[in-house]
Amino acid sequence: MTDVITLYRSASAVAVITSLHFCLPAQAHFQVLYTEDTALRGGQATHMLLLFTHPAHGGPNMAMAEPEAFYVISQRGEEGEPTTTDLTEYLEPITWHSENGATAAYEAQLPRTLTRSLGDYVFVLQPAPYYEAGEDKYIQQFTKTMMNIGGVPGNWGEPIGLPAEILPLDKPYANWTGGVFRGVVLADGEPVPNAQLEVEYINHAPDLEQRRFADEPDVELPQGSFGTMSIFANSRGEFTIGLPRAGWWGICALEIGTDTEHEGKPLSQDAVIWVQVKDMR
Amino acid sequence: MKILTPSAAGFALGLLLLARLVVAHSPICNCYDNGDDTVTCEGGFSDGASATGVSIRVFDERDRVLLDSVMAEDSTYTFDRPSEEFHVIFDAGQSHLVTIYSADIE
Repeated sequence: MTDVITLYRSASAVAVITSLHFCLPAQAHFQVLYTEDTALRGGQATHMLLLFTHPAHGGPNMAMAEPEAFYVISQRGEEGEPTTTDLTEYLEPITWHSENGATAAYEAQLPRTLTRSLGDYVFVLQPAPYYEAGEDKYIQQFTKTMMNIGGVPGNWGEPIGLPAEILPLDKPYANWTGGVFRGVVLADGEPVPNAQLEVEYINHAPDLEQRRFADEPDVELPQGSFGTMSIFANSRGEFTIGLPRAGWWGICALEIGTDTEHEGKPLSQDAVIWVQVKDMR
Repeated sequence: MKILTPSAAGFALGLLLLARLVVAHSPICNCYDNGDDTVTCEGGFSDGASATGVSIRVFDERDRVLLDSVMAEDSTYTFDRPSEEFHVIFDAGQSHLVTIYSADIE
């Protein structure tokens, strides 16, 4: 598998890339909504990356169109009022680099005034549907990343009512290595029994300044099944995953939204949530 | 051996629970400069509880009280920024104090 990935990452011909893409059985599309730290002692400006990629392998990356929605719901304390702030004005198109070329992505430089209050910040990205030619279908991944300032909790455990959503049962920003993370798969606020999920680790560290992933992986994958781990939710839509390594873990529930067609093609409305894990030291 | 009556046992249990509630969460306070010569301090607790009514005081560098108030209904307190150095004490009781110095307020 390592040889295949190495060959893949050094390949330059599009035909070779495409054929290898199909050869890799366990690569999941993941909408990344990334910032370096999600558990902050105090407020600060926030730099976010919006990239559609395969995080376990550091690519290939897929071109993003302008997102349909990007906002944050913040709340200080459990009795506080949730505040929704539209963030689309901060979106800037960028080019994300890799050995295989440049890909359209977005970043957002959020001023400190937006992320300086205590509490939870639930960032929500609704990307435009992406046409995946290899599967002749569109993919739209409703993505949540949560940040906390100061340790005062807020709305991290509240559902938003997205067409496709993962509701966390543990704080996504406060997880130790070796712990577990639990969640519930929801579609329009209702649990999705036996939903299929994929789990990936960001195995190539993102460099927001250079706008590229690290060339070397953090972990050598013994086999393709370890790049994308597949699990199923139970009959109540609940799932639990282990967190064996510090860093970022993405969880994606597949094809759970009620809209199943876009521009005459099948549409997969997925839900993604990101979980940051830290070592005890 | 002294046997507690049900009411006494209930009272003791209540005290124990109250004590646990008091120590189970930590006070948190954060202040920032609004850029208009005012400072806002936000209070809270690690369990998400409201800080409404919690004491907050502003002292000068010689520990003289400049302002003595409580957190508002939205767990905040806004005041005119003193011209000299100062510090803020968010006092949640039972030695649960958070001190913030003016040099750290951006």
